[in-house]
Amino acid sequence: MKEGIISSVIGPTGAEQRRLANRVMEKGLEQAHLSFSSITYLVATGYGRLNVPFADKQVTEIGCHAKGAAFLFPEAKTVIDIGGQDSKAINIEKGRPVDFVMNDKCAAGSGRFLEIIADGLGITLEEMAELSLKSNHPIKIGNLCTVFAEQEVVGRLAEGAPLTDLIAGIHEALASRVASMAKKLKVADAVVITGGGAKNRGLVKALSDILGHRLLVPSEPLLTGAFGAALLGRDIAHKARSNGRPLERKEGSLREVEVF
Amino acid sequence: MAEEEKREKREKRRTATKAAAMIGPMVKEFIGATHRAKQEGKKLAYTFICCFYEEIIRAMDIIPVWTENFAGICGAKRDADRFLARAESLDFSRSLCTYALCGIGFDQWREELGEMPPDPPWGGQPRPDFMLSSGQILCDPRNKWYQAVQQFMPDVPIYNLGLPWPLYEDDIEVSEVEDYYIKYIVSELRGLIKFLEKQTQRKMDYDRLSELVDLSERTWNLIWETYELRRAVPTPMGTGDAMNTMVPLVFMMATQEGYNFFVELNKELKEKIARKEGVIEDEKYRLIWGGGLPSWFALKDFNYFNSKGAVFPVETTYRLIEPLYRLNIPETNDALERLAYRWFRHWTYWYDKAKKRPGSEPDVERLIQYIEDYKIDGVVMHEAFSCRTWHLGLIWQLNQLKKIYKPIPVLVLGPNGEKKEENRELPSLILESDIIDISSYSEVDTRNQIDAFIEILESVKKQGM
Repeated sequence: MKEGIISSVIGPTGAEQRRLANRVMEKGLEQAHLSFSSITYLVATGYGRLNVPFADKQVTEIGCHAKGAAFLFPEAKTVIDIGGQDSKAINIEKGRPVDFVMNDKCAAGSGRFLEIIADGLGITLEEMAELSLKSNHPIKIGNLCTVFAEQEVVGRLAEGAPLTDLIAGIHEALASRVASMAKKLKVADAVVITGGGAKNRGLVKALSDILGHRLLVPSEPLLTGAFGAALLGRDIAHKARSNGRPLERKEGSLREVEVF
Repeated sequence: MAEEEKREKREKRRTATKAAAMIGPMVKEFIGATHRAKQEGKKLAYTFICCFYEEIIRAMDIIPVWTENFAGICGAKRDADRFLARAESLDFSRSLCTYALCGIGFDQWREELGEMPPDPPWGGQPRPDFMLSSGQILCDPRNKWYQAVQQFMPDVPIYNLGLPWPLYEDDIEVSEVEDYYIKYIVSELRGLIKFLEKQTQRKMDYDRLSELVDLSERTWNLIWETYELRRAVPTPMGTGDAMNTMVPLVFMMATQEGYNFFVELNKELKEKIARKEGVIEDEKYRLIWGGGLPSWFALKDFNYFNSKGAVFPVETTYRLIEPLYRLNIPETNDALERLAYRWFRHWTYWYDKAKKRPGSEPDVERLIQYIEDYKIDGVVMHEAFSCRTWHLGLIWQLNQLKKIYKPIPVLVLGPNGEKKEENRELPSLILESDIIDISSYSEVDTRNQIDAFIEILESVKKQGM
C-alpha cells in the first residue's frame, strides 16, 4: 500500500461546514482516484469536526496536531499552531499530547489579527511576510485590540512611519502574545510550528526570536492537523487488525446534508 | 418554537443525587421567605457568603439576604446581563466583581422604580434594613459593594467588620499569634452584636447563640463525613451536584433545615455506594475541581464532562469546612470564642502540613491530599476574570503542584536509548470564563478544550505503567 499523503484539499471553511465536508471529501477522492467505499477509516478534526457526518471518529486538533507534527519531526516536544481563529501550544511525548494551552478568546492572538491588518492595508499575507523581513527596526504596536491596532498602523503610516517597520511590529505583537501563551507550558526543543501562521516567514522569525528557540516548519503546515487525523485513523485500523477485532465504523455514506 | 422548547427540555441539567435536585426549589423558597419576612416586619440584612457569623444573625431572628446568592441565581438563569449593563451605565467597570455588578444594577433599578424590576428572577431581592460588609481579608467588593449600593439606599446603614487570619509563611508559627487573633476576632463579633442589638432593639440571647454554635459544629462534622463518602469508586456524587449542595452549606448554616439536608444526602450517598451506583456507569477519569468559582450559567458543562467518562469526586471550591476533631478547639463556654477559634483554625489548618513539604503551600497541600484520598487522575480549574479573590493564585498553585508533586510513573527513553522510569505531574486544564458574565463564555470553545483534555487523560493513561 502506498504510504504518505496521496491527495489533499486546502481551502477556506466558510459558514456552512456540513456541505463543505462533502465537497472536500469528493474532491479528495477524485484526486486520489478512489471511491468513498475504499476508505478504511475516517477521522475528522478541527472546530468543524462534529459537522462531518460521515466521520468514524472525531479527534480534537490538539490530538491531531500532536500526531502529525511528531510524525513529521520525531524529535518534536512542543507544537505551536497559529490558526485563523485561535492559537495553541501543545507539549507532546511519543507523539501524544500531554499538556496544552489555547487562546480561543481573542482574535488579536490568532492569524485573524494579521488578516485584518493586511486587509486594512490592501496587501496580501504573503506581502506582509516579505515586508516584515526587510525591517531592522520594528515599531512597537501599543494596542492589544485588533481593530484599534489596525487604526494605529494606519495612523502611524500617515505620519510617515516605514511600512516595513510597522508590519514587523505587527508580527512581533502577535508573536509576543503567542509566546506568552506558549510559555504557560514547558517550551522544549524541538519546537514545531503549524497552521497558517507557519507559512508566514516574518511571523515565524518573530516568534523564534521571542521564544529563543528554532522553529521547525512542515512543508505544508496547513495540513498537519488533517495529516495527524489520518495517522490516528490508520493506527485505529491497524490496532483492530492486529487484535483480530472488526473495525467499528459509523454507518454512513457520502451524501450531501439537507440544510434548512 | 415547539422544537426549540423540546431541545431545551432535552438538554436540562442532570444531577446525580436527589438531594442536589431539591436545591432549586429550596432556594426559590428561601428567596420567597425573605419577601414574606419583610412583609411580616422582620429585619433583613444583606450579607456575604463565608461570613462565619450566621449563628449570630439567626440567634437574633435576623433574616440574611445573601446578595452573592441572588447574583448567582441571575447568572444561572442567564438573566444577569440586564443588571450588569445597568451597573455599567452607572460607570462601574465590567471588570469588577460581577456578583457586585449584578447586585448594584439590580438594587439601583429597584430603588429607581420603587418596586422590583420587571420579571425579577424568583421574585427578586428585597430591600434590606441594614447591610453587613465583612472583608475577611478575602476581597474588596466585600467592603465596597454595599457602600456602592448605599448611594441608592442612603437610609440603610452598613456595618463593616473583618475577621482576619495570618497569611502563610514558610516559618510561621501559628500558635505564637493565635491568642492575638482570637481576641481581635471576638471583639469584632462583639461589635457586630452591639450594632445588631441597636438595629433590632433586642438583646442577644447568648444561650440560644450557644445552641446554634453547637448545631453548626455538628453540621460541619456531618458535611465532612458526607462529602468523604465521595471517595468511593465509582463516586456517588460529583462537583456539579456540590455546586447545588453548597447552598445549605453556606446559606443555611446554623439552621435545623440545613442540618437535615445533609442527613438526607448522607443517607442517599450511602445507599448509592451500597448499590455501587456512581455518577455515571463507566467512570474512566476522576478529576478534582481544583479551584475557581463555577460559571453559574454553564453548570451543564459538568454533564458534558460526564458524557466523556469523567467525574469530579472532589472539589476545593465551597468546601469551607473541616471536621471539628481536626481543629482541636479549646474548651470554652464563650460562644464567640468558639466561633473565633473555628474561624482561625479552619483557615490555618493546612499550614503545618505545608511547612513539611518544600515548595508547598496550604492550598497546594490540600490539593495533594485530596488527589491522593480521592484517587484523582487530573486537575481542572476555572479562572473567572472578575474575581481576583478566588482566582488570582490558581495558576501559581497549579505550577507549584506540578513542580513538587509528580505521581504518574512513565517509561521514557534515556539519552542512550535505554528505558527508564520517570514521574510526571497530573494533567491539568484551566477553563477561562466568569462567574456571572456570560459574554465571557463560549460553549463550543469550552467543550473543545474539554475534549482535548479528555484526549490527554487518555493518552497519559496509555503511557502509564
